[in-house]
Amino acid sequence: MLRFALTRIALAVPTLLIVAVSVFLLIRLIPGDPALLMLGDMADPHSLADFRRSHGLDQPLPVQFALWLGNLAAGDLGRSITTGQEVLPLIFDRFLVSATIVVVAVALASLVAVPAGMLAAWRQNSLTDLAVVAGATLLLSVPSFWLGLLLLLLFGMKLGWLPVVGYVPFGQDFGAALAYIVLPVATLVLVEVGVIARMARASTLEVLRLDYVTHARAKGLSELAVMGRHVFWNAFAPTWTLIGLILGNLLGGIAVVETVFTIPGLGRLLVDAIFARDYPVIQGCLLFIAGVYIVVNLVVDLLYPVFDPRVTA
Amino acid sequence: MRRTVFFGLAVALVAGAACGPAKAAGDDTVRVSLNADIRSTTPGTNRDDNTDAVVLHVVEGLVAYRENGSVGPLLAESVEISPDGKTYTFHLRSGVKFHNGATMTADDVLWSWNRYMDPATEWRCLSEFDGRGRAKVEAIEAPDPQTVVVRLDAPNALFLSTLARPDCGMTGILHKDSVAADGSWIGPVGTGPYMLADWRRGEAITLRRFADYASLPGDADGFTGGKSPKVETVEFLVIPDASAAKAALVSGAIDLVPDISPADREELKDNPDIEIVAAETMGLNAILFQTRDPLMGNQKLRQAIAASLDTAQIVHAVTDGNSVPNNSVVPTASAYYTDVQRQGFTYDPARAQALLQEAGYAGEKIVMLTNNRYQSSFNTAVFAQAMMQAVGINVELEVLEWGTQLDRYSSGNYQMMAFPYSARLDPSLSFESMMGNKDEQPRKVWEDPEALELLARSMVVTDDAERQKIFDELHRRLIDQVPMIMLFNGSDLAAFNSRIEGYRPWAASKPRLWTVSIAG
Repeated sequence: MLRFALTRIALAVPTLLIVAVSVFLLIRLIPGDPALLMLGDMADPHSLADFRRSHGLDQPLPVQFALWLGNLAAGDLGRSITTGQEVLPLIFDRFLVSATIVVVAVALASLVAVPAGMLAAWRQNSLTDLAVVAGATLLLSVPSFWLGLLLLLLFGMKLGWLPVVGYVPFGQDFGAALAYIVLPVATLVLVEVGVIARMARASTLEVLRLDYVTHARAKGLSELAVMGRHVFWNAFAPTWTLIGLILGNLLGGIAVVETVFTIPGLGRLLVDAIFARDYPVIQGCLLFIAGVYIVVNLVVDLLYPVFDPRVTA
Repeated sequence: MRRTVFFGLAVALVAGAACGPAKAAGDDTVRVSLNADIRSTTPGTNRDDNTDAVVLHVVEGLVAYRENGSVGPLLAESVEISPDGKTYTFHLRSGVKFHNGATMTADDVLWSWNRYMDPATEWRCLSEFDGRGRAKVEAIEAPDPQTVVVRLDAPNALFLSTLARPDCGMTGILHKDSVAADGSWIGPVGTGPYMLADWRRGEAITLRRFADYASLPGDADGFTGGKSPKVETVEFLVIPDASAAKAALVSGAIDLVPDISPADREELKDNPDIEIVAAETMGLNAILFQTRDPLMGNQKLRQAIAASLDTAQIVHAVTDGNSVPNNSVVPTASAYYTDVQRQGFTYDPARAQALLQEAGYAGEKIVMLTNNRYQSSFNTAVFAQAMMQAVGINVELEVLEWGTQLDRYSSGNYQMMAFPYSARLDPSLSFESMMGNKDEQPRKVWEDPEALELLARSMVVTDDAERQKIFDELHRRLIDQVPMIMLFNGSDLAAFNSRIEGYRPWAASKPRLWTVSIAG
């Protein structure tokens, strides 16, 4: 397993390098000048030239790339063009915010969706099954920004139970932090529950048809024992992969939810940076997201044998 | 499963309700939404509109803009201009305190000026004063603690206007404590009505009332006039999403949204807890022509387009009746806006068709650019397209992301575009934004040499009546040559909770919280 992990980590280096080159070139292919966006339509040519010079934007592209790559190798992702902050600490700060919400949301969604999917499969073609499938399809179809706004409207404005905008770190005030993340977490849970429940149902159905389940039932095991001891572990493995993918995707930024609920997370940082053509932040964010995706997938792959011993890492 | 979900949600909601920060009665804080975080706390350097809006609560300059776009003294008691227009003598107000308790003197003005003129500061207005712009500041002296004398190498009618520009940070006078021993920025120690208390990046900026603020007498007038702060704390909350800001206002989480959309006004106007006030701004919402384009270089064609557009109808539709039509580059709120500027283009479809024939227009495709960030630009383009098509002009829209449109504007790579210029408070600056030689600056729209001479004169002449004549002449030429079609200046629609009083938006599109008090 150690060898597998080391191989995967080693393979991540060329992947990240390809991401670095692609991101650097692609963002510069998009029309738009950071200096113009930063200084606005009131800027005179002298100010624009000063700005480009002071941020190294007047250098030829290969020179800019070489400088950036050299700094990257030294662990320096540069400074934001718009705020002057160091990119790496900025990304970490914002990632912590996004990660808190995403991890809580995916955990809650999994806790709800996996049993629901298994229940639906166990009671296939019953009313329960129909309700789970219909509910999952409905939730799957609802766009997160719309759902977020509806929740905000109901619990924030109509009922006034929850704060509608802002974010408080858990380290600062636990109660307030909880109040602020309820709505964004609920939005993500409701959106992801549908995906996970459908996967859990499908994989459970597949396992339920296998001979060893019939055999277990024929031995006289209770349904709880069959489902819990024999079906769950095998059926959960594909769902676990899906949860890993969802986690990887969401950790890369939940820009829509962050924008609706005014959360200073990684997704909003990236979107704002794209609109401002803040090259160092865009490059840093995308590299970081690629890294997170690789790590999450590696962890998921390493844990896969826990659920399905037939697969060895 | 549903029971589980609802139970979970209910627990979370009850917990949230119990723990959520509720606004206490008697709360002496006004919460204001900002659509993006500020970029820094350094005046006039790393800035945008939001940065200026916040920082100008904290720092003040020698002079500042009034509501009608003229410039008046703020930290200066008075300003004398020598007969040759090259020497400015600022007599400072006495008893003005910095936030650290120190009294402001001419030494502080000199120190601030030298810091701004140091290229390392990256002051965005450096090129206006170091010889690359209109006039160079050759010397600045402090003959006594209450007097500062500035000598220019040439007369410059825009010297005070440039000092007062919000994007120059009002050339705010700072105390030395604003920077560390190595010259790095710590935070603004200014003389403004509010002090910077806290900045949580991406979340909020908190300002506290400066108890020793030395206010001018009278009412607030733009950035000058009486500015005694009445509210203890002002909190600017970063809320990028307009719907979320509206929800926060309705729920009482924030007190003020400085700029709502006309559509939101319709939704909020019947809410008894919300008040809405509007003010004309000095922005320029226009349709620009690339006069070097083979097709758009035809003046008759441009005149035909101008005649095909019903400005009043477009402006009413785009702004929901919140702005007045204005075909002049001189903003309606300006002291220089007179009957001459009121004479704009005449909507006359029949004349438009006749002009098209005179122009030899044979239905060639014209592409008009617009963007999806500024709704007013997009809507303007849509209405203009329909009106142009009605007289037989084959115009297509190309909707771009804002950064891309700005790039095309800057390179002059377009035929027509709907474009919003940000507010300039002096008409010379408004004209200057779109006038100039395209060989030197491709973004410029109008390059008639005689008009450029008039503009240059408007920047030297200090007599108001003389300047008025120049602006009148420029307006007449613009209406005749149609290098662009100005449509309206726009308006700021501010929505606020009725618990606060005294808030007034104004032409500069910058919220002023020193006018605000809490009712009861």
